[in-house]
Amino acid sequence: MKNRKILIISGVILLVLAAAYYFYFGFLYKEARDITAEAPAYTLTAPDIVEEYQTNAATADSMYLNKTIVVIGNVNDNDSISVSLEPGVYCSFDVPAKNIISGKNIKVKGRCIGFDELFGEVKLDQCTINQ
Amino acid sequence: MKKRNLYFILFFVAAMVPFVSHAQKFATKTGDIKFEASVPSFEEVAAENKNVSAILNANNGELAALALMNGFRFKVALMEEHFNESYAETAKYPKAVFKGKLEGFSLKALSEKPKQFTLTGELTLHGKTKKINDVAMVSVKGNTITIIGNFMVKPADFDIDVPKVVSKKIADEVQVAYTFLLEE
Repeated sequence: MKNRKILIISGVILLVLAAAYYFYFGFLYKEARDITAEAPAYTLTAPDIVEEYQTNAATADSMYLNKTIVVIGNVNDNDSISVSLEPGVYCSFDVPAKNIISGKNIKVKGRCIGFDELFGEVKLDQCTINQ
Repeated sequence: MKKRNLYFILFFVAAMVPFVSHAQKFATKTGDIKFEASVPSFEEVAAENKNVSAILNANNGELAALALMNGFRFKVALMEEHFNESYAETAKYPKAVFKGKLEGFSLKALSEKPKQFTLTGELTLHGKTKKINDVAMVSVKGNTITIIGNFMVKPADFDIDVPKVVSKKIADEVQVAYTFLLEE
């Protein structure tokens, strides 16, 4: 009888601890998204996504905003923290990317953060080069 | 003879037009905006966006800036989620736009030593527009104009509701700091 009571109490304590652990690390302080590891929701070319944003930004936002996507396009400008794909996809890196050659066709994976009207560009952040 | 003179003047004026109307523009795609709404003794409530676009017309001091709301990154993932979903509703209102002017701006007046300019304009976010008035420090080095400043906004000014449960942990006034390194 006594043994059973101890078993139940320890079981309840364990459950409470597990719930607390889950609440703390799984909910309150859960890991931030890892865009690099996420499977892309869409894969499309740079001219396509730019056209979609220019035609209807709201519709494009409803599809791509805050989603992980892969964009394929030709590099027309780049520095250590970003790469631009023709005709207007701006991709910024958290970790500087190497070996980007102007004019080369590349695949970039990142999170779409929206359309920048000042420059007429679609912007992606947390990008990595997808070979 | 008179007609020839007129033609000459016309030609001269036409030749000058490109020089007069040529707007000298300085721009960046990697402007930085930080905001903080922390309350002492509670967890830090702060975010940073390093992909802010800004364009300055050096002829008249007009400044336009655009921050994509989804580009604001928090240290705590859940905070970022709440910001996007509950407070700023970034799916519905994906950007913050500032349109304004540096009063009395002149490229010639700039030097490497930061100079104060009054920045006035309108900030639009979460579907609401509010007048902004602050002092910006502007300097120039080589081809780069640096504009640094900060101002205060209230979430209530932009119809952003902070639920009672967390209102103690989020300041009523949000401190916004910006740094733009604009290149010609």
